Amino acid sequence: MKYANRAGPSFLAPALLIIAFVLLFPIFQTIVLSFGRNSTSIFIGYEFAGLANYQRLLNTPRFITSLNNTILFTAVTVPIELLVGIGLALILDRNFRGKGLVRMAALFPWALPTALNALMWRWMFNTEFGLFNSMLSDIGLIAERINWLGAIPSAMHVMMFVSIWKTSSFMALLLLAGLQTIPDDLYEAGSVDGTTRLSEFRFITLPLLKPAILVSVLLRTMDAMRAFELPFNLTDGGPLTSTETLSLYAYRAIFQYVNFNLGSSAILIQFIIIMTISVFYILMIRRGDL
Amino acid sequence: MVARDKQSRGLFSVALLIVIALLALPMAAQDNVELTLSIGARGFGDAAPILIEACENEVGGISVEWERISDVPNESRSIYVTNFTARNSKPDIIAVDVIWPGDFAARGWVAPIEDYFGEDELAEYLPGFLAAAQVGGSTYAIPLYIDGIHLFYRADLLEKYGFDAPSTWEALISQAETIVAGEGNPDLAGFISMWAKIEGLFMNWLAFFQGAGGSFFDADGNLGVNSEAGVKSLSTMVGMLGSGVAPESILTFRPNDARLLFQQERAVFLMVQDFVLATLTADDSPVKDAVQFTRVPYFEGNDMTDTTVIGGFLLAVNKHSENVGAAADFIKCFTSYESQVQASLIQGKVPTRPAVYDDERIVEDAPGVAALGANFVYAFARPSAQTGAAYPEISEIMQTEISAALLGEKTPEQALADAEAQILAIMP
Repeated sequence: MKYANRAGPSFLAPALLIIAFVLLFPIFQTIVLSFGRNSTSIFIGYEFAGLANYQRLLNTPRFITSLNNTILFTAVTVPIELLVGIGLALILDRNFRGKGLVRMAALFPWALPTALNALMWRWMFNTEFGLFNSMLSDIGLIAERINWLGAIPSAMHVMMFVSIWKTSSFMALLLLAGLQTIPDDLYEAGSVDGTTRLSEFRFITLPLLKPAILVSVLLRTMDAMRAFELPFNLTDGGPLTSTETLSLYAYRAIFQYVNFNLGSSAILIQFIIIMTISVFYILMIRRGDL
Repeated sequence: MVARDKQSRGLFSVALLIVIALLALPMAAQDNVELTLSIGARGFGDAAPILIEACENEVGGISVEWERISDVPNESRSIYVTNFTARNSKPDIIAVDVIWPGDFAARGWVAPIEDYFGEDELAEYLPGFLAAAQVGGSTYAIPLYIDGIHLFYRADLLEKYGFDAPSTWEALISQAETIVAGEGNPDLAGFISMWAKIEGLFMNWLAFFQGAGGSFFDADGNLGVNSEAGVKSLSTMVGMLGSGVAPESILTFRPNDARLLFQQERAVFLMVQDFVLATLTADDSPVKDAVQFTRVPYFEGNDMTDTTVIGGFLLAVNKHSENVGAAADFIKCFTSYESQVQASLIQGKVPTRPAVYDDERIVEDAPGVAALGANFVYAFARPSAQTGAAYPEISEIMQTEISAALLGEKTPEQALADAEAQILAIMP
């Protein structure tokens, strides 16, 4: 037994090495690059610059705007997605004819690739040819076309709406899985004690759904903090920088200005924020309370 | 046993021979230098394979593989950034947007190639275009085709109201107002262009700016953005939005969005690059008989200013390519007089050699291309060669500040002062 234990790690070593190389090395490189100047590699021509990139970022209004945009976007969309998701999950959990079909339809927005989804909405919100302006003016609700994606702050509102439309069904899916683990006998026992619909939800469903809620909120928060395809394809961060997210900012720094160091610092700040939030959530899940 | 052994030895020898033969095959083919050409599939389209084959034969000893990349400049740029930061030797030959050579040269990504061309040969290309690829006495790219900005207009509407094509902004604005009011169609816009926060917006403002007598850098190399001409140009753009000559949605338009609106007969004037001409004059286009074009207007009293902002592509050689010489020879053939005539005839590409515009075949079979030539007398390039690696950021600053003024977040004066301060802070 002892012998086998000693051999174990050596068998694992090749796999661990590969994981270290593809997973840890890029993270390590990003960290080192973020402290560099005019450097695109940590091996060739690396130049240490200390905290210069971080200082520059914190003094760049555009970076601060993208940070604020990302936080606002996350803080608004995730709670709404959770509420809509719970509602959807409760409906989908019911027994009714054609349940399978409805479940499939509810999953449809989530199954669409984000980039495609963003382009689709971009057309529907197009000021001149878009579906919404033409519908609204046909029924006489608006006299002048609304410049959805070309004005501040309506572009951000549209982006939030599209995100909620798309990812509520993802929330619903996770929560539905949680709902189905709740044993039916609890509800039966409850009805013996005379629960109403509301108290049933309050005292049985909600407490037992908590782990699923925490996991889905965690996943969605991480996702929203990293939002890239949606702003990239829907608004390209505009008008001005009103819908530019952290990921989009970092992408621009690296691929447009070819400043790998500044971009890496932005990514690292984003990484630290997401890690902090995640650790907070995971601790709550471990402790098992909200 | 012995017999079988002999047999298997015989089989082994045959197998060995086959292996040797297979190994020798690529050696025999190695006389050919293999080059990779990276260029957009839409941009050069049907003309690419034809010209590649012609140049393989003419140069001799090379075989060129066409790597189809995106036609969206920012996307192809991302591919180059990845390859060149990794010091990849491929692609050997790349198509570069007119604003990249200064940037790429400063980063050491592209090789100087003037030694492969005589001075006389270089003089055959449009000087305003070639200048964008010349840094510190070296030439880093050779012009392939132009995509300049022009003013397209609905000749039928102008004629109906008795107007000639406008040569000044003052005339354009008053014509647009008269026509839109006269037509009484709420779906008709006076002037449209690409005023989303993209490179095209910066090009737009530069055209207005030069037409007001401005220059990004003055004769002494000082930044000329925050000036009388700067304020006049930006105020005019803001005013066009405010008075409704340009619709609010112009702030979300990229070139193709604007082209689409114009093609649906919903605009009088359209100011975008000439690549739209092929689509606007296609058989199924509702405006195919009504669309005409002229050079971008100027402000009254500035008729000698250059207002045709040029875009377009050049060919450059990867600095880490193993065959810089062969690549340069290929470029020489690919951008030759005859190749440019063919590219115009097959794909409607606008030539970078002024002489081609007068070629009989062009005048006869591609009159649209020939007519564009007149506007390139007034051609000017963006300040990319002078600003080198800082250009993308400078352009982004200008786009942001121009947008801020258009959105009413800042006055034109404030926006230009802010732009000037930010640019001076990062200028090399």
